[in-house]
Amino acid sequence: MIEVRDLTKEYPGKTAVDGVSFTISRGETAGLLGANGAGKSTIMNMIAGYTAMTAGTVRVDGLDILEEPTAVRKKIGYLPELPPLYMDMTVEEYLSFVYDLKKCRTNRAEDIRQACGALSIADVRRRMIRHLSKGYRQRVGFAQALIGNPDVLIFDEPTVGLDPKQIIEIRRVIRSLAKKHTIILSSHILSEVQSVCDRILVMDQGRLVADDSAENLSGRVGGAKKICLRVSGRAEEIRRTLLGVNGVAAVKAEGSREPEISDFIVTVENGQSDGAVRMLMTKSLAEQGMYVVEMRSESMNLEDVFLKLTSGKGKKAGGRTEKIAGKAEEGK
Amino acid sequence: MKAVWKRDLTAYFNSPVGCVFLFAFATIMNLCFYVFNVLGASSQISNLFSIMLFLLILITPFLTMRLFSEEYKLRTDQLLLTSPTDVWEIVLGKFLAAFCVFALALALTLVWVIVIGLFGVLSPGAVAGNYAAILCAAAAFISVGMLVSSLTENQIIAAVGTLAVFLGLFALSAAAESSLSPVMGTVLSWFSLFARHQRFLLGIFSLSDILYYISFTGVMLFLTSRVLEKKRWA
Repeated sequence: MIEVRDLTKEYPGKTAVDGVSFTISRGETAGLLGANGAGKSTIMNMIAGYTAMTAGTVRVDGLDILEEPTAVRKKIGYLPELPPLYMDMTVEEYLSFVYDLKKCRTNRAEDIRQACGALSIADVRRRMIRHLSKGYRQRVGFAQALIGNPDVLIFDEPTVGLDPKQIIEIRRVIRSLAKKHTIILSSHILSEVQSVCDRILVMDQGRLVADDSAENLSGRVGGAKKICLRVSGRAEEIRRTLLGVNGVAAVKAEGSREPEISDFIVTVENGQSDGAVRMLMTKSLAEQGMYVVEMRSESMNLEDVFLKLTSGKGKKAGGRTEKIAGKAEEGK
Repeated sequence: MKAVWKRDLTAYFNSPVGCVFLFAFATIMNLCFYVFNVLGASSQISNLFSIMLFLLILITPFLTMRLFSEEYKLRTDQLLLTSPTDVWEIVLGKFLAAFCVFALALALTLVWVIVIGLFGVLSPGAVAGNYAAILCAAAAFISVGMLVSSLTENQIIAAVGTLAVFLGLFALSAAAESSLSPVMGTVLSWFSLFARHQRFLLGIFSLSDILYYISFTGVMLFLTSRVLEKKRWA
């Protein structure tokens, strides 16, 4: 649905986006994740047609944005970081203006009613936008993106500045929209991207440093799987038993926080199933009269992954982006 | 284009700008009409249009300053430029909105024609010529103001910048008249909005001058659309 190839944007003295490529399939929800100034908004502006690229191509549904800009813009609903609202209009007047601006051919009243319904703003339709709270203004911004029922929705930092209740509500809205639209959203909040996106594109200093699902990112970057274990019994016996389990590569004693309970970190052999090793460990320990009190996987959380990816590793080397292969490749 | 025109025209009257413009224009011009024509018992209205031209220098920046500057400031230009509406439609829609406000203000002066028709000697040709000329001059002024507004997100800078351009054009007009070299005078008068208007005030309807104003306006609108496109490529 969206094909971005070698996208580059240069400003005097600065390269904001540097040779970014990715493909987003129809119906997919992708999150652009990165610190402030990583190039997320610039990429979104280029896909939406607000900013032209210095090099590279953007194709939406097979149409090149430079060759057929009007047709491409018709397919996109865009919510910039600051919702583009006219404070001197009522919500209804504003959405009606957007309907005209987008040259929609659908039923005006029905289109506006659906957008208002999706964002729960029907009760403020006749209120001036300047009198609305920030949360409602953000929803009106969302509603304008939905007018004309575009295939692609682009949301730039959709929850920035909202309170926790409003954030939860907006995330719920995005998840409901994801059923019918292809969505790209940007955020510097990991949990947000993780909670609503099928796929995460990690940006750092204008470069795409990772492109995968949250789960795969964590697994791929995190290296060998580790399991934290708390077992009742004598530490040396437990260690010996664990080392005898098929699939266990290493066992590290972590001392004891409670009497007669020892803590360990078990490293699983590469290629072994985490679940299978857990079952085998539980069984072996029980057979020896030692009981598992607590067991959990110690995979890297997304914060760790993000920091690892944006702290120098995975950056461009020799002009090629070291990309973590993921759904982008599968989707081709 | 219609969407942008409608939105901007409404915006003039949702804010004090439109009403203040109409009020200022109507008050000053009707006062002039009262002094020169009613108290002076004159049917001559050319001097009123001469005053109107100078009034336009002062109040057009007020009308045009917000056209694009406000869009940049509120970031609503992102909505306009990412919509399927072409840049030229946006420019034309905004231009027509400002022009309609001026036309509305000018329509308020039609009462002069009625008064002179009833109590004086009306020269329909001169009246029509003056109205056509001031409409063309206003279109040119508005297009200059809109171009300046498209260059900055600060409305005050847009207004002051427009005023400076008008004063520059006025100086050009004065230079054209006082130029010792006939060639230089001719060249300078090509760029002078004011010198062209003088012929209409003398009762001469010049089609070439009307075409000049239309062309000048067209060039300014084209340049405005280029400014918007340039922002995209910046």
